[in-house]
Amino acid sequence: MTVLSPAPLRQARAIAGTELRIEARAGEALWIITPFGAVALLLTPMAVGADRPLLSQLGTGMYWVVVLLFGVLVALRQTATDSPGHLAVLRMTGMPAAARLGGRAAATTVVLLAFETLLLPVMIALYQPDLAGWPWLAAALPLTAAGLAALGTLAGALVHGMAGRGTLGPLLVCPLALPLLLGATELVKEGGYGQVPWLWLLLLVTVTGIGWLALLLGANALEESS
Amino acid sequence: MNLLGRRLPAAALVLLAGGLVGAVLAPPDRFQGDYQRLMYVHVPTAWVAYLCFGLTGVASALWLWRRTGRFDRLAAASAELGVLFTGLTIVLGSWWGKPVWGVWWTWDPRLVTTALMFFVYLGYLALRRATLDPLARARRSAVLGVVAVVQVPVVHMSVVWWRALHQPPTVLKPGDPTIDHRMLAVLLLNVVAFTVFALMLLRARLRLTVLEDELATARAAEDTEVAGGVVTAPQLEGRMRDV
Repeated sequence: MTVLSPAPLRQARAIAGTELRIEARAGEALWIITPFGAVALLLTPMAVGADRPLLSQLGTGMYWVVVLLFGVLVALRQTATDSPGHLAVLRMTGMPAAARLGGRAAATTVVLLAFETLLLPVMIALYQPDLAGWPWLAAALPLTAAGLAALGTLAGALVHGMAGRGTLGPLLVCPLALPLLLGATELVKEGGYGQVPWLWLLLLVTVTGIGWLALLLGANALEESS
Repeated sequence: MNLLGRRLPAAALVLLAGGLVGAVLAPPDRFQGDYQRLMYVHVPTAWVAYLCFGLTGVASALWLWRRTGRFDRLAAASAELGVLFTGLTIVLGSWWGKPVWGVWWTWDPRLVTTALMFFVYLGYLALRRATLDPLARARRSAVLGVVAVVQVPVVHMSVVWWRALHQPPTVLKPGDPTIDHRMLAVLLLNVVAFTVFALMLLRARLRLTVLEDELATARAAEDTEVAGGVVTAPQLEGRMRDV
């Protein structure tokens, strides 16, 4: 039996595909922001001191801080689909704003997941943290990527076309993304103690859900303003 | 236009004076001594900050629903006041924290979430300032105003969700408040006084915003040539600029 997907979902998928193709060609997130994040992980021990036990303790937290701060850059990056001409064409085709922003956020989720996955071995190699509880990363990585993508896309739409986009966007996202940082860090830590970290998992799911809900519900109002 | 009005400043003055006298006369805390008296300002400023951000959230939602300019002005004015009072809350808490906790700042969930709320609304104000078109500004800030208000319950509940250094709620909790009733009476008087004071400031800020809008409209009209400059607009005698 063939099930036809509803039009907005198809449109969102098309937008996500376009965004991913653009990223595959330009490689801004993977070839520029990821090495930048790796440099941040490399520089931190020079600032706090190359004390092996201390670095082993700091490693996981530093990783999530870098994911948050540099992930915001990934989520707020400007692509060809942000150009006024492209947006005008999308509006003329009658594409709902929620489908456009949802597609963009879905593509950003995939890119952020790749960004997190690439940075993880760098952090493990540099900091050599305790690896107990790491199976929980299977939940923490995608949920954080999805949550950050939703908040980042929302902030990107809020600051669209502004001169201070590159600075105002992160200011809007970072404080709101704190529960993601907290949830991801504690999920892995508590998992390492042999407990099932339901509370932190619930926090990550809730914040990610709220982020996506805000993005999809606020899309129309934001579309009018851009 | 009288920015402050007449009744509100008088009421605020009387209530603030009463609150100050009450704070001086209230019994000192058994352990903290006179340092505890900062509570009579710290708690009311935090309450007013919550109130202002809540108002921003409600006004933003109403703007998205009704698209009326006054809701946008209300959201902006209350966010400005909220940022002011959150800043005061942090400074006063820090001032109290040094002698009692021994540090100006600690990584307590209540402190961290309050600081984050402060930065979120600073971002809100920055967004407003950076958007020049009034309609786009109202739309963008309304969406952010609705999203950002989630921070208020998070800040309030942070002391319940994560037990740390900051004390849990004393008054806004189920059951009898765990505080001496004379202290509670003074605290409530100060809460009312600061609320009235904040309402006075809000009223003044709203009126100022109306004046700013009128000025902006007048300036825009001055710069606009009638019919592309072909027609000269009638001007009052003595105010001809091109003669």
